[in-house]
Amino acid sequence: MTATDELPELHFTSGLPGFPDARRFVLVRIGDELSPFSVLRSLDGGSDVEFVVTHPGLFFPDYAPEIDDDTAERLELRSADDALLLVIVTVTDPVAASTANLLGPIVVNRHTRAAAQAVLGASGYNTREALVPSPTG
Amino acid sequence: MLVLTRRANQSIVIGADIVVTVLEVRGDQVRIGIEAPRSVSVHREEVFRELEAANRAAASPASGALEGLAALRPPQERRSR
Repeated sequence: MTATDELPELHFTSGLPGFPDARRFVLVRIGDELSPFSVLRSLDGGSDVEFVVTHPGLFFPDYAPEIDDDTAERLELRSADDALLLVIVTVTDPVAASTANLLGPIVVNRHTRAAAQAVLGASGYNTREALVPSPTG
Repeated sequence: MLVLTRRANQSIVIGADIVVTVLEVRGDQVRIGIEAPRSVSVHREEVFRELEAANRAAASPASGALEGLAALRPPQERRSR
């Protein structure tokens, strides 16, 4: 598992859709070290915004988004190993019904900490994928 | 809205460094090429709007809502316990 604690500050040079002014973020883990969730918190004054994020591989082992060349180039990603992938979680009540945004994953260059929300065009992924299948037993 | 008429292979310059070129017109579809600096992100509008709405819905959840979250584990991990 990637220790997100090792990434103190992320730079979204273009902001995020809906939050164009939120550029600098920190990742803070929620709960104990086994918790799969972190908070992505804006450091920019005025845009007091935070998102819950998780590692998509934990909940969606088959998730294999193809990052567009434009994003890869902007983040100066040379290989897949350079990239840390996170997805934004919409926390609901009850939490078990929370969803993840697989259409717009967050891509981070592990080395430079440049980050962007990628947009997966015709990928078939959606913005509200259930984190856990609905309880059937 | 500024409206300009262009033919295939003609362009529009926006600011100093954004060039939008009509590449091909076929029926009701138009292929457009966009040259822009890296700092300018270019998206299909409907996808961008969808992401905006999703980000707004996800932004700044109530701190109470986060309490139960740390206990939420991936399905396979829970099964092995």
